[in-house]
Parts: sequence; C-alpha cells; structure tokens
Amino acid sequence: MKSKTLALDLGEFVVLQEETIRPMQEPLVAGWYVDPGTGQKIYYDPTTRNFYTMAGGVYIPLGYMNPAPKQVTLAPGDNLRITVSFKYTGPAITGACIRYCVGVYGTFGFTEQMVAIESFNIPQVVSPPSSPNVTNYHTFVIPTNVGTDWDDIYVKMYGGTPSLGSESIPSYIFGYENALVIVGTQPNITQFTITDFAKV
Amino acid sequence: MVLDIVLTPMALEAKTFNIGDKVRVTVSFKYVVGVNTAIKLFAGPYYTNIFGKHMVDSCVGQTDMSLAAASSPTSGGTTIDFILVPKANGGIDNGTYGLRVWIEGTNALVEQDAIIIVSGNPSGSGLTDMFSAMMPMLMMVMMLGMVAPMMQGMGSEETEETE
Repeated sequence: MKSKTLALDLGEFVVLQEETIRPMQEPLVAGWYVDPGTGQKIYYDPTTRNFYTMAGGVYIPLGYMNPAPKQVTLAPGDNLRITVSFKYTGPAITGACIRYCVGVYGTFGFTEQMVAIESFNIPQVVSPPSSPNVTNYHTFVIPTNVGTDWDDIYVKMYGGTPSLGSESIPSYIFGYENALVIVGTQPNITQFTITDFAKV
Repeated sequence: MVLDIVLTPMALEAKTFNIGDKVRVTVSFKYVVGVNTAIKLFAGPYYTNIFGKHMVDSCVGQTDMSLAAASSPTSGGTTIDFILVPKANGGIDNGTYGLRVWIEGTNALVEQDAIIIVSGNPSGSGLTDMFSAMMPMLMMVMMLGMVAPMMQGMGSEETEETE
C-alpha cells in the first residue's frame, strides 16, 4: 500500500471590484428592448415590472426559475403535493387561478408534462399580515411513464375578480429547477462489482 | 492544501479452471427503480485481440432476478453460473481470458482482464485448428497445381495455330 500526496495551489485570491457591478436601469415604457449583453429581445411590462421573452407565442418572464431549496424523490404512483402560500392585502378576490406545472425547464423554456389548475377565493384583508395568509395546493400522482428529466416545477397565479393579471403575462410566477428526483421504471444501477468467482 | 490519497488494489486474482467446469460469479450492486422490475444478468469469459474484446458466446451464462421498487439506493446481489464448454464442442480454447458481467438493458457492466485461465482441452485440438486454418491455402495450391498444366497446354495449341 502506497501513500501519495496531492498538493493543490489555489493561486491568488482577489476581491471582486465593486465598479464591475452596475445596477440595471429599468425602462419606463412598455415595449421590446434588446439585452446589450446577450442581444436577446426582451419585453418590459411596467405594470408588473417584469421582463419577458417570447417562446411559442407565450410571454415567459425572465428569471422566474430558481434553484430548488430541497429535492423530493418520487417514483411512479407516488403523490407530489405542491403548496403555495403568500401574504395578501387587498379586496376580496373570487375565481382566481393557480396553474401548477411539473416538467422540463431548458433553453427553450418550460416543457409542461403535468398540469393542474386550481381555482380559489381570497377574502378581503385590510391590514398587512405578519405571515402568509393565503395557502393553496395541488397533489399530482406520478404516472408510470414519468420521465427522469421531469424534475422542474413552476406555479403561476392569474385571473379572478378583480383580476390578479392575465394568464399569458402573469404577474405572479415562480419556479424551482431540479426540485424533483424521479425514480423511473428502468433500474438505475450503481456500484456494480464482481465480488467473487469460483468453480462449483 | 494537502490531500492524502491512499490507493488500494481492487482487482480479483486469476484462477485456473478445467474444461467442463461450472464457474459461479457473485456480483453486488446498488439500485433504485420506481416499480418492481425483473432484470437479466449475464456473465462469461472474453478474449482480447487487435480488434477488441470478444465474448466466448458458447460459455455465457445468465440468471434472472427481481428488483423490488426502491426510491433510495438499495443493495442487491446475485450469482451467475456459466460452463466452460470444451473447444471440441464449439466452446472455449485453452488460454487466459477476462471475465465480464453485465445487466441487460442497463449500463451496468463490469469486467476484468486475464483472470480466467482455462486448460484441459485435448492437445490434438491445437493441431486440428492449425490444419483447418491452413486448409484454404492448401486448396489454392492444389487448384493451382491442376490449372497450371492446362494453361500450359492451351499456350502450346495457340503456338501451333500461329505456325
């Protein structure tokens, strides 16, 4: 048995320069703009104060997907409950909708594989709550044909009277990347080793 | 930063077998799968030449195994038997072989070179092999011997006609 030493040289550590971080100025007028960094055309909506890109005829907000704070392992037949909660202050709303989606988030947007829409009402709230006062959820049953890449989720909230916003340009949308670990119908084998072989 | 790494050998030791022996291979692994699933495991000897690695198909054994659904890594293991079929029956020749085990329909494959040493085939079989390998060459030489006199004959007839 032999010991080997690996020495790592991490080089110099430098402080990030503050002047390299320039705050982005929000435009004031609704319309299409060009991102100077990427050349991508983006749409700005001053009402929602969100930037959008367009894919498949649908406006998709930029930066609505976030790293998942945790991962949930699921197999076909398992139930996945996605719960949404938020603080609300304002008039009573009836018939608002939340769209729950599980699918694949990639370069060309979110490919929805499982979709559910829950309708709900919000009572009038006059004073800002100290903790989330509206909660809604949906439970998906993972199908047998689930893909192992169905690991992203997002929800968006829209509609109602008075309206929370349109479905195509939602004001309230939020998602998690790599939130799910799907255990599919094909076995995933690891640590495969021959432990012994002998004449019998 | 200093990182100490200790290397330890993980190789299996070579073993000698006789023709006709049954070899039992024991494997272990971890798996996750969403539903109860049946898998097929294969094991057998392989030889290596300039074209790569080649299984000795007549000696490959297989076994079926059931995996219970498991969403977290679960230990599994089984044994696979194969028989070293004699060369005379279309099986394996004397020599040194590698051992390969794999699971059908997955990327699970493990192998190790030069750990199965096979002996016990009759020594005459080597002579027979050499003869059968030389047969095409011998046939060509014999045919050339038959055709050459005919060609010579045709050549002399043409000479006569010209005259």
